Amino acid sequence: MTKIGDTIWERLFLLCAIASVVVTALIFGFMVVLGLPLFKGGHFFYLLTQPWLPSRHAYGIYPMIVGTISIASLAVVIAFPLSLGCASLINVIAPRPFSRFLRRVVQLMTGIPTVIYGLVGVFLLVPLMRDLFQRGSGMCILSAALMLAVLISPTMILFFADSFEHVPRPYLDAVDALGGRPVQKFIYVMIPCAWRGILTGCILGIGRALGDTLVALMIAGNAIQVPSSPLDSARVLTAHIALVIAADYDSLEFKSIFACGVVLYIFTTIVVLAVRSLGASGRRQEP
Amino acid sequence: MNRQVERWMIGVAWLSGIVLLGTVFSIIGYLFYKGAATLTPSLIFGETQPMDALLLRRQVFDGLFPAMVGTFSLVVLSVGWAIPVGLATGIYLAEYSGKTMKRTLNLFFDILAGIPSIVVGLFGFSLAVFLHKHFSERIYPCLLISSLSLAFLVLPYIIRTTQVSLDSLPPVTRLTALALGATRLQNIFYVLIPKSLSGILSGVILAIGRCAEDTAVIMLTGVVATAGVPKSLLSNYEALPFYIYYISSQYANPQELMTGYGASIILLTICVVLFLLAFAAKRGLTYHALYRA
Amino acid sequence: MKSKTVLTGLAMTLCLLLVANSGYAGALDAFKDETGSLKIAGGTAHIPVMQEAAKRIMTLNSNIQISIAGGGSSVGIKQVGEGLVDIGNSGRKPTDEEIAKYGLKLFKWATDGVGIVVHPKNSVRALTQAQVMDIFAGKIDNWKALGGEDKGINVYTRDEASGTREVFWEKALNKGEITTRANFVVSNGAMKSAVSQDPYGIGYVSVGHMDETVGPVSFDSVAPTLANVKSGEYKIARGLFSNTKGDPTGLAKKFIDYLFSTEGQEIAAGNGFIPVN
Repeated sequence: MTKIGDTIWERLFLLCAIASVVVTALIFGFMVVLGLPLFKGGHFFYLLTQPWLPSRHAYGIYPMIVGTISIASLAVVIAFPLSLGCASLINVIAPRPFSRFLRRVVQLMTGIPTVIYGLVGVFLLVPLMRDLFQRGSGMCILSAALMLAVLISPTMILFFADSFEHVPRPYLDAVDALGGRPVQKFIYVMIPCAWRGILTGCILGIGRALGDTLVALMIAGNAIQVPSSPLDSARVLTAHIALVIAADYDSLEFKSIFACGVVLYIFTTIVVLAVRSLGASGRRQEP
Repeated sequence: MNRQVERWMIGVAWLSGIVLLGTVFSIIGYLFYKGAATLTPSLIFGETQPMDALLLRRQVFDGLFPAMVGTFSLVVLSVGWAIPVGLATGIYLAEYSGKTMKRTLNLFFDILAGIPSIVVGLFGFSLAVFLHKHFSERIYPCLLISSLSLAFLVLPYIIRTTQVSLDSLPPVTRLTALALGATRLQNIFYVLIPKSLSGILSGVILAIGRCAEDTAVIMLTGVVATAGVPKSLLSNYEALPFYIYYISSQYANPQELMTGYGASIILLTICVVLFLLAFAAKRGLTYHALYRA
Repeated sequence: MKSKTVLTGLAMTLCLLLVANSGYAGALDAFKDETGSLKIAGGTAHIPVMQEAAKRIMTLNSNIQISIAGGGSSVGIKQVGEGLVDIGNSGRKPTDEEIAKYGLKLFKWATDGVGIVVHPKNSVRALTQAQVMDIFAGKIDNWKALGGEDKGINVYTRDEASGTREVFWEKALNKGEITTRANFVVSNGAMKSAVSQDPYGIGYVSVGHMDETVGPVSFDSVAPTLANVKSGEYKIARGLFSNTKGDPTGLAKKFIDYLFSTEGQEIAAGNGFIPVN
């Protein structure tokens, strides 16, 4: 009797696992199927390069793709030195009590809701940017990238700190034995050893920045132009979905958000595959 | 030359630390500075008596109570959907699956974990429209659809923490019961799960935190600005993060904006508390592991 | 927390009670024994009125649940047509196509205008139609050209679903271009917040929503006040509609009747619109 019970449970577990996989695939499936009218006839690639002008029946998402890539990459460029510096503080450079305090604060930061970053961004950062640059409304790529950098830093810092901790002890002891200072340990041993972890952390940061909706929705201005400077207002794919969801869902305009969904899904998959391959090659190299 | 680089590196490190700490404290400080004055019972209950509101005898207007109830119901429902499926999947991954199966499944779940929340919300919305057209006229974006979508969002968290907690049990623990003649199932239910409970619990609490703060998914699947306390699964509802978003862009007067800050403080406190709880739960695990070993 | 509006509304109601017998008790009485829920969505200009009405109804009878969402006029029309909501609000008259496709019944309970607004500190307060068209098309991009400071003009516009945008585009811009550099906001309330925070911004918003946080701009020498909208002098006007799919029944019918009742019309007036009765 118990044998059958066992098998039933095992099948049940398998069913749940398969259901979860099905959901993942279904999400992509729904995007493609529902966006089909726009995709017909190789239209999809055409969409990726067209501007967005619904009154002229142009439903391209090119401006949004440029917006997403600009904001995400700028955010990571800003966050990278910040995160690397903080991770080095946590691991080597700072005295123990401060390092523990910093780590706690960073861990707590991962729990801060995104909408709060958006709120503070709108009322604190945007006027500041407007006064600083004397140009534009303050709602621009730079403001959104700055806030986004603060958002993704904790993840990157914790990831870097973790990779630095996995540097083999003998290497670190060797530096101490040779009379090296902590910062030398960091620059000449830890960074080269953990470069894979650093790269993975950056890619995870990009992934997080690509997928964030609220910060860009509230701070980047959502203009439909193709941005040409960091002080231009821009729209990202995620914010576009949030803005157009209110439109008539039989219209071609609405279908464009499924195109955005597909592009985002593909970006995410690329990020995941990159992270996995880095991880796998790292494992192969380990002694 | 090397000395220069080293000195510069130390400078950058300390500068980053100060910048980061400065930014975090100014964000939180700004919130408290603007919103601390509004932290009174009337922020939550408006002009209704707290007791009446809590017992659902009267509706609350101009207060955060409906939003808090909405967020609470959302969290309970989403985690309710996600735990059984996530737990079962995690168990399957840790105990029953072979190597290739494990790698493939993990790939899918990594992708699921990485999908932007708005895409999950879009999926939920499409699901609602699909069900509305083909199943029942009564289904449209509502509490049910939102909680399902949020469940999809947090599923990877629960799967991953379950799998990792089960996998990190020492071989001694895993094999003893089996050696004594117990079936795989009995081993899982009586030995493995109780031992990895703190890890699983921390994953559940993280999932709760994620559900409480998410805005993108609920924006597309049924949250509205005014709805009162949700009366049924198929009704619209309010939620705390959406309230903050809504107020920040559409406040009618400065007082309303202040309530937005007050709501932010409440949301922040909830999320931080949940986070600390998850951390404590996980710590429980490591303490246990070290103590036993 | 529209304490000011509620007070004004209450004061007017009290006066009416003294003068006439109808109105107060009668209009809300219809909701006394009702239960169930009412879903409203659509135009963002209508929201303050909807919220006030819902509040009064739900205070009287807590068995009724009214949920109000925004989204813009096109969303309201679409959602009521598809049966997703009971009442769809729109700030523009539904097109004949839409009426035919969904079998809509229209109820216009107030008139409103769409006015151009700038920051209260901005000294530019009068524009001609040609100037307005050029500003929103991006051809004039510095306040200097209009007699203001030497700073760039930040244009704010609404999303495609907005009835306010539709009316403004048709009547003020003569269906002209809106620059791709314009920042998007999602509702009348959001437009008001955005312009009131940006010293060099310009946008357009429902006349009923205008208050001291924004500076109204005269259009072809006509100021966007209620009086001018009512007299017809201010050309950029539109009706506030509540639409239902087919004839309204039950709770929806009572709600719409309430909007046309004395009390409902007071709420509309209290929020800065021109009631039809």
